[in-house]
Amino acid sequence: MAEKELKRRIVFYDQIAKNKRQSFFLIIAIFLVFLLFGYIISLAVDPGFFFIIMIISIIISISYIVIGYYKSDKIALASVKAKRADKIKYRQLYHAVEGLTIASGLPMPKVYIMENNQINAFASGRDPQHAIICVTTGAIEKLDKQELEGVIGHELSHIANYDIRFMTLAAILVGMIAIASEIFLRSLWFGGGRGRRDDKAGVIFLILGISMAIIAPILVKLVQLTISRKREFSADATAVKLTRYPPGLTRALKKIKYETGMKKGQVPGAVAPLFFANPFKKDAMKNLRSTHPPIDKRIEVLERM
Amino acid sequence: MVWAWIIGGIVALIVIIFIVYYNKFVLLGNRIDNSLSQIDVQLRKRADLVPNLIKTVKGYAKHEKSIMADVTNARKNLLGAKDIKGRVKAGNQLQRALKSIFAIAENYPQLKANENFLHLQKELSAIEDKVAYARQFYNDSILSYNNSVKVFPGKMFASLYGVKVKPYLEIPAESRAVPKVKF
Repeated sequence: MAEKELKRRIVFYDQIAKNKRQSFFLIIAIFLVFLLFGYIISLAVDPGFFFIIMIISIIISISYIVIGYYKSDKIALASVKAKRADKIKYRQLYHAVEGLTIASGLPMPKVYIMENNQINAFASGRDPQHAIICVTTGAIEKLDKQELEGVIGHELSHIANYDIRFMTLAAILVGMIAIASEIFLRSLWFGGGRGRRDDKAGVIFLILGISMAIIAPILVKLVQLTISRKREFSADATAVKLTRYPPGLTRALKKIKYETGMKKGQVPGAVAPLFFANPFKKDAMKNLRSTHPPIDKRIEVLERM
Repeated sequence: MVWAWIIGGIVALIVIIFIVYYNKFVLLGNRIDNSLSQIDVQLRKRADLVPNLIKTVKGYAKHEKSIMADVTNARKNLLGAKDIKGRVKAGNQLQRALKSIFAIAENYPQLKANENFLHLQKELSAIEDKVAYARQFYNDSILSYNNSVKVFPGKMFASLYGVKVKPYLEIPAESRAVPKVKF
């Protein structure tokens, strides 16, 4: 018993260190991507402006990263239109979160509600002191107390081992580049249609759009590789350790299994990996499949506990 | 010169290891104290709800004097207890007494339908959960503390600093039994 516990603790601390390290590398990678953009622009405009453009791109990238780091939870919440949960209306939810924070020794996260019929939840923030937890209205309506506690325990364990820092940073920083690349490509499309591509700006847009279109999917893929399925399994295990009741989480997963997925557009693709269960279900977005292990597998592992 | 650096490095390393282990025991010990105070907080919250509950119940079930006296006494014991052990014990007593109140409520349909009573019942059962979670965290903290004391090389440092294994909070056997209700 003692040995097993010790081993688990070591794994847990390893995970925290790993998440902090990966978050750091992600920030460096994003910074380099911006510098690369600056370099491309300066080549396209005029090599004489090299230094000015590089300085501007450094300033932009740093502010982008600082905003992403400190406001990632707010951005994630805004992107799914979540609202602060009312303390009186959602009394049982608050009781469940409070009880589990006591069981885990974590500070109380801010609790949010997101208007959606599907059973789902996510956690975000940069560290346990600045964490949020967001639950769908569907989860509150359809889950009983034990099931809800299982889901919240899962999210709290993401908070405890700093999964939230890395996962939210990845979603926000990479997601915004993906959105920007789409905007550039679309503006190119429309610009081309109206025949406005005659000056240098058009060339810059073209080069930026193409380079973003190449880099963004690579970044997204890289992030998906690092957001491993292991995180979900270990969060399930920690949830059980907190609630001491595996059937709660198992039943919640079973209920999710028989639900239909969210419609595209209700949740931005970049935020999807943050969720308790893949919001889009199986076939809606194939490239997101790898971020969540199949529900059946998760149930199977839980039933062996 | 090289030897001096090596010896200096080794000495510094040893000092650091000593500090790390000292801090580890202190940190884990603090976590235990912290979790104990969390139990305390929840027990007090429960005690605070009791007068309100008694008032509501009295309005519908005047004759259940002995049960209400049990609850009031348990609350008094809880607030009067000097140390955490006494408070935990009184807390168990209070929990049992509250259970019998909720059991007799079954005989008073009007009381059962009272909104205030329902609210208090929900609050008290949530607090009961939190007390259980706080105890669980306390025992988890004890486990990691005891592991650090018992497992090598922590064992060496523990005996050096005079740190000893701490006891778990045991759940009293009677708290699992169904409360007896007299009619």
